[in-house]
Amino acid sequence: MVQWLARLHELNPRWLYLATGLLMIVPFVILIPMPAGTPSRATQGLYDAIESCPPDKVVWIDSSWDQGSRAENEAQLGCVVRHLCRRHVRFVVTSVGITPFGPEFAERTIRPIAEEAGYVYGRDWVNTGFVQAPTSTSLALVINGLARDFHSIRPADVHGTPIGDLALMQKVRTIRDIHLIYAITYSPAQEWISFIKGQFGTPVAFGCMSIMAPSYYAFLDSGQLCGVLVGNRGAAQYEALIGRPSLGTRLSMAQSFGNAAIILAALVGNLGLWAARRARSKAP
Amino acid sequence: MTEPLAIWIGAIVTLAVFSYLARDNLFYRLVQQAALGVTVGIMIVVTWQQVLYPMWLTPIAKAFQGTADWKGAFWLLALAPGSLWYFQLSKRWFWVSTLVSGLFVGVAAGLAFKNQILLIMPQIGASLKPLNPLAGPEGLTYDSAGASLSNLIFLVALLTALLYFFFSIRTDSRVLNPAMRTGRLMIMVALGAMFGNTVMTRMAYLIERLQFLYETWLKPILTFHGS
Repeated sequence: MVQWLARLHELNPRWLYLATGLLMIVPFVILIPMPAGTPSRATQGLYDAIESCPPDKVVWIDSSWDQGSRAENEAQLGCVVRHLCRRHVRFVVTSVGITPFGPEFAERTIRPIAEEAGYVYGRDWVNTGFVQAPTSTSLALVINGLARDFHSIRPADVHGTPIGDLALMQKVRTIRDIHLIYAITYSPAQEWISFIKGQFGTPVAFGCMSIMAPSYYAFLDSGQLCGVLVGNRGAAQYEALIGRPSLGTRLSMAQSFGNAAIILAALVGNLGLWAARRARSKAP
Repeated sequence: MTEPLAIWIGAIVTLAVFSYLARDNLFYRLVQQAALGVTVGIMIVVTWQQVLYPMWLTPIAKAFQGTADWKGAFWLLALAPGSLWYFQLSKRWFWVSTLVSGLFVGVAAGLAFKNQILLIMPQIGASLKPLNPLAGPEGLTYDSAGASLSNLIFLVALLTALLYFFFSIRTDSRVLNPAMRTGRLMIMVALGAMFGNTVMTRMAYLIERLQFLYETWLKPILTFHGS
């Protein structure tokens, strides 16, 4: 038995990759109902902020992600847009600084949800497109500029329509017309916290990749951020809050299977290591 | 016709990247180089299409045509500081570029200073947390006791982690050494949490690709052949 276990220690890691990959496909083949768990304070904060949006204000979504972080950001955008549509909250979408593909990915995610909810482009939501800001300095200037005069920084929307011609944008000119800013990308810039929440007091929430979450918890604790959606887990919790399990829930399930595979692999690997050492010590 | 082709290209490229798990190979390196080239090319096109053309050239052109506000012509002035950057290519005239880079450094420093003040000051204020569980309006409750304990752990972590980064004091002190070791332990716990999240993110990348391969590429093929 010990000899057999010792062989596990020398297992080619490629078998492990294959097993983990196959295990993660299982939730896509067989639908397995799994609870999303109790929403964290970070998720609940964003939900509450949207719930408290007055009818005369809009939500500003900065959707600056593309294929590189689609794995988690897509679900984070979809669930929030679905909530906004359900509450009839109008929203403006920007893609500040990070990727020129941001507007296209945002459009692909938002349009089907908005159309399903009966939202009309230009009246209920607007995609203002990409604003280039490659450094933190230019990002700060752009954020400041948008907050003070939206129309001067984005004279046209993503389709080239003059922004003043869009019914929604005639009512949205400065940060005073915004109830909440929700920035979604791999790692949302801290300039949103300092130049929006710090200067104007407008609530800010983030949607980020799991890897970046620890750096934002301090801002959540201090009240500088009102909410954070952390990876697919955050999206799944949000979907549970709005009562509409969707992409986040499915990806979160696959992630649970992957986590289980890694824990199992760590246990088996350590067992193999223990058995190998034992076999060596008993060898003549 | 375009979409199935895009899906097939996506699937082949994904499999080429995954082939690296078996071993480094030509197919993988080809795809990697192509991705880099395409990204740079697209960035140039997007910069022209979404920034320079609509936000710089169009206002100037419209101002000269008289179809828009004449002030748009002032965008021509941006050419002067913009072109100064190119003097970095000359050893003799390099100093000319410092005129504009100095300006940018000044603006960056000013904004960074403001950014840090607006970011850090509320953090310092938020570090002052109540430790007394009896201080609340309802006196001692499970919630107030839990909150006090949480705040105490926060305070210990904050002070000991800060102490760990004092490199100008003796570390063999009987008082300071255990505190600094605790600080190191707290940092290790934080790094462990970060590593856990890193694994989650890497796994999310893999899941998204597996989902694409199975649901978008393979499943329609299997369904087509099945029917």
